[in-house]
Amino acid sequence: MSSKANAQNPTKMALVVHSDMGLLSGFQSALSENGFVTIVARDLATALLAITHHFFDVAIVSSRLGEGGDGWPLAGVLHLVFPRAFVAVLSPSEPDVLTLQSAINYGVREVFLQSHPPQEVVGTVLAQMSGSSEKTRGRRVQ
Amino acid sequence: MPVKRSVLLLVDDETSILQTMRRLFEDEGYEVATAEGSSEALDYLKANTKVDAVITDLNMEAEDIGLEVARAAQKLKPKPAVVICTGYANLRNSRSALDMGVDYLALKPVEPTELIGAINRLVLRRRDPRTKP
Repeated sequence: MSSKANAQNPTKMALVVHSDMGLLSGFQSALSENGFVTIVARDLATALLAITHHFFDVAIVSSRLGEGGDGWPLAGVLHLVFPRAFVAVLSPSEPDVLTLQSAINYGVREVFLQSHPPQEVVGTVLAQMSGSSEKTRGRRVQ
Repeated sequence: MPVKRSVLLLVDDETSILQTMRRLFEDEGYEVATAEGSSEALDYLKANTKVDAVITDLNMEAEDIGLEVARAAQKLKPKPAVVICTGYANLRNSRSALDMGVDYLALKPVEPTELIGAINRLVLRRRDPRTKP
């Protein structure tokens, strides 16, 4: 989990947490193309370790790590530790009211369908971070 | 942990809910103001900018009008914690709440301990300098 970021030359940092290695690779590639140093974690323990070692600007977390729904509290922790970071959650299915409620209550900024291509998700995250969310509404889960 | 002397605006068109919630939050040490609808709440927010938290119902004079109260509250500086408490959440209004950056969505019937815990936490967090815009 090394990075080139330091206080004098801050590099944009992203954390992606998902159990699927292929998906992690896709996100790492998409984020790297946009100038992010990306830390990936396949489980909660590795994600927590990463949180103690880095300062994240973006975090993309699966709603399901070990078991259904356990990604939400991790997203909440990320929001608390990095209050200015853009925290997004990947959902395996179309979000319902309870999913959106979890997003609000855990401080998550956006919920994406897990099946969306990483490039699209990253593009939407970056657009929303730069305040141009109007252009991206059509790409979101609903 | 009770948060003393923080100002909380409660907005609901049911008097009994306002009375119950007022008692709960006054017992927690809050200074509580109440509004029996969105127009009263909007008037209050125009006249009173020092509000630490707002809890608003969604459906009052009109469907989802509580979102307007939330929007008005979010324009205050410093921005209060904004909580929506509703029995009529759906995909549309929940999505709007997420897009607006509402701090908490409580679905009625809600446990008083849940609401008190959320408000205490959010009000304390507002005091954290790291969270200031």
